[in-house]
Amino acid sequence: MMWIELWVNGSERVAEVRPDETLLELLRDGLGLRGAKNACSEGECGACTVLLDGVPIDACIYAAPACAGRAVTTVEGLAHADGELTPLQRAFVDTGAVQCGFCTPGFLLTLHALLAENPTPTEEEVRRAMVGNICRCTGYAHILDAVAQVAGVKE
Amino acid sequence: MTSVLGRRVTRSDAEAKVRGSADYGVDVVLPGMVYGALWRSPVPAARVVAIDSEAAWRVPGVLALITGADVDNHPTGLALCDQPLFGWPVVRYEGEPVAAVAAETPESLEKALDLLHVEFVERPAITDVTSALSPDAVLVHPDWASYASPSGAEWPREGNVVCELLSDPGGVGEVFSSAAHVVRDVYRADRQYQAYLEPHAAVAEYNSGRFTLHVAHQFPFNVRDRVAHALGVGASAVRVVGHHIGGGFGAKLDVALEPYAALLARATGRPVRMENSRSEDLMTAQCRESAVVTISSALSASGDMLGCEFDVVFDSGAYAIDAPYLASIPMFAVGSVYRVDRTRVRCRAVYTNTAPTGAFRGVSGTYLVFAVERHLDHVARELGLDRRELRLRHLRRNGEKMLNGQTLADADILRECFDRAEEVAPFSSLGKGPYRGVGMAACVWLTNPLAGSAVLKLNEDGTIGLVTGATDNGSGAVTMGLRQIAAEEFGIGASDVLVTMPDTDVAGYDAGSQGSRTTRVVGMAVIAAAAQVRERVLSIASDHFEAAAADLEVVDGGVQVRGVPSRRLTLAEVAKLAASNGGPITGAGSYSTPLPNYSPTCATGFLFPAFPTPTYHLHVAEVEVEPLVGTVRVLRYIVVQEVGRVVNPTGVVGQIQGGVAQGLGYALWEWLESEGGRYRQRTFESYGLPLSVDVPRVEVVTLEHGDSDSPHGAKGVGEPPIVPVAAAVANAVSDAIGAEVDAIPIRPEAILEALGPLGASEHRE
Repeated sequence: MMWIELWVNGSERVAEVRPDETLLELLRDGLGLRGAKNACSEGECGACTVLLDGVPIDACIYAAPACAGRAVTTVEGLAHADGELTPLQRAFVDTGAVQCGFCTPGFLLTLHALLAENPTPTEEEVRRAMVGNICRCTGYAHILDAVAQVAGVKE
Repeated sequence: MTSVLGRRVTRSDAEAKVRGSADYGVDVVLPGMVYGALWRSPVPAARVVAIDSEAAWRVPGVLALITGADVDNHPTGLALCDQPLFGWPVVRYEGEPVAAVAAETPESLEKALDLLHVEFVERPAITDVTSALSPDAVLVHPDWASYASPSGAEWPREGNVVCELLSDPGGVGEVFSSAAHVVRDVYRADRQYQAYLEPHAAVAEYNSGRFTLHVAHQFPFNVRDRVAHALGVGASAVRVVGHHIGGGFGAKLDVALEPYAALLARATGRPVRMENSRSEDLMTAQCRESAVVTISSALSASGDMLGCEFDVVFDSGAYAIDAPYLASIPMFAVGSVYRVDRTRVRCRAVYTNTAPTGAFRGVSGTYLVFAVERHLDHVARELGLDRRELRLRHLRRNGEKMLNGQTLADADILRECFDRAEEVAPFSSLGKGPYRGVGMAACVWLTNPLAGSAVLKLNEDGTIGLVTGATDNGSGAVTMGLRQIAAEEFGIGASDVLVTMPDTDVAGYDAGSQGSRTTRVVGMAVIAAAAQVRERVLSIASDHFEAAAADLEVVDGGVQVRGVPSRRLTLAEVAKLAASNGGPITGAGSYSTPLPNYSPTCATGFLFPAFPTPTYHLHVAEVEVEPLVGTVRVLRYIVVQEVGRVVNPTGVVGQIQGGVAQGLGYALWEWLESEGGRYRQRTFESYGLPLSVDVPRVEVVTLEHGDSDSPHGAKGVGEPPIVPVAAAVANAVSDAIGAEVDAIPIRPEAILEALGPLGASEHRE
């Protein structure tokens, strides 16, 4: 076991982790942040997506010790401090982008990173950005609508 | 207040889901909770000779280790009691539970599972339906004759055939022998994994002789009954508490981990959490069955369909699960959309040493409609007829009967489906250009009639509490639809209807989220419950205003004297008055759809004899084949669907878009290949789910012919959008490459083989 310090959703956290512990295990079991989901444990489905220093990663295959000194953003850290949803979260609610919702946290973080880099993506760019996130319910169209609502996506 | 029906209303759980605070089955954590897992058979057929658990027990932290020798391992099951808790002493499929272990930590659990030693004698495995049906086949269940149905139902079954449906009106042979043309086809379909993102999980507690199970399940009352039966306790000894469901699509209707979690909780005295790894989940989910469909048509010289032989053999896997019911579905796949004079139907569900198959959205309809619609395209090509014209000529009309004798009073809607699709894009205008093609497919589907209930209570702040055992699997049927239907009864906003999560101790029985039943069946129960609440509201207001109840009306979240809006009480004020006038206001409603008339003698082995509240569907797919690699791109996808009444447009379009995406996966990318009784695909890495770049936006046309016996006319919506997809896509691919497509999924290898050596291909303009 080893101690690491990291920033999670803007707060400094100290955690004791195993050398082989994944970031997802640390978040869900160690820190009680259950928003990121484990659906495949192999980095295929993106349900565990979080931001590491602003970059989307699959937390289920990312080593927790490697996060020492770095900043992690989970779905719990997206809404503003006063609890107000981000425009993208609000758009997910409004457009029907959420059905069972198990993939939703991962999609939100992937798309949050996309929009930070490219505030007005084309629909093709949005589709490509989401290719590491699987949604089994929606067929993706309402998720595209959600992005379009906040980003004014170009045809 | 304007009506909330037909409007975009937000799901009540959406905000929690986007915040990451929604509590799914895998998120349940209880004080003192320990971890459980199953030791699953690595072989598909074997006899267990010995289980050496000594080393496993020595692992620090191990709390319980249970095998078939430690419990009453009597067989139970959904349709037939043929499935023991543990594969002991006989293992019948790879992945079958042989032992259940609980430990303080996941690490000691893993170690104990590694050290558990099970000695097998392997047996020859029956791995496909053809060998299962051979006369000298080894029986998967030598004791098949001793099994009984929990409902007492009986049907024809023998040896490896777990159910045989047979419908023969007579005279079919004569029609074939005198027909101008006979066209015969054999179609195959592989299995499909539901691939919900939340794997099966369960947390069980045992306290004072009762079990509490925390699950994310489509059918909590079935969990209650199945766990009670397997453990030999009364149903009231089991309480099932529902949490948010991370997708189900039919795979969360039967029990999975729940009975084992309950056993381990009782053995340890601690809450026990179990969760499938993705590989365990994929290997053991009750996926859509593989099948072989043989269809022959007898045709007149001008192409009239005079007779049909429809023979289906499907793989039930090692246990029956729901196969005896599914064996009836072929009766609704042929002769429902298109008129055929004489049709003989035979369907056999067959045991093999493979993972049991079960319910997946659209069940066997997906491959049965594929077979029927591919066959029609073949008939059209053989006789030189236009594919659309052939279909239009045979469409059922109002008042005609399906093979089961059930009258389709509104079958003219089929014609409207074809007309409306033509308005979106004329069929003859699509699929033009090299390696492009177009296909169409239609179906009639049901709205599941099974029972449901609801209790409404008028809260003291004027909001409505909705208590129901109905589950929202993600469709929005509870979190949008039922809230809207309740709100409509009181003229309030849907946000003023608060809905509970399912709890079998609290709510009345509900038959689960299956067959698009929730909005219709539970919606009717909600309306009945609301009528009781409204009656109390009117009675209290009548006392208050000293006016006859008939002169009062419930509008806009209050009750008022008709025509005198100033003489008005809000619902909150009525709730307060109720405290001293009869007590708190509640109402209860129940409903199940009566079965339509059908002919009970039309078939034997007919356990699912009618299609209540039928809906009508036409799908059109336009595709482009990449001739160098054999892949398929879907260019356009059009759905015309009869829904009765759009309760929530976001929900309807979401169900159709999502159902089509799953159907595209089934047709093109989701391969679940069984080899020697083992799946080749074990993870999401090898199982090809549709991605964001694969699925086009579906063009949706909804038809609204309200059903007078439905809540505001609403019929089932969620299940059928997957049903005709593989058929429409396969017809489009066949059109694109100018060759038959006879298997689902449509593999690039098959397309390349059909195209032949490059340059030799004449396809296609």
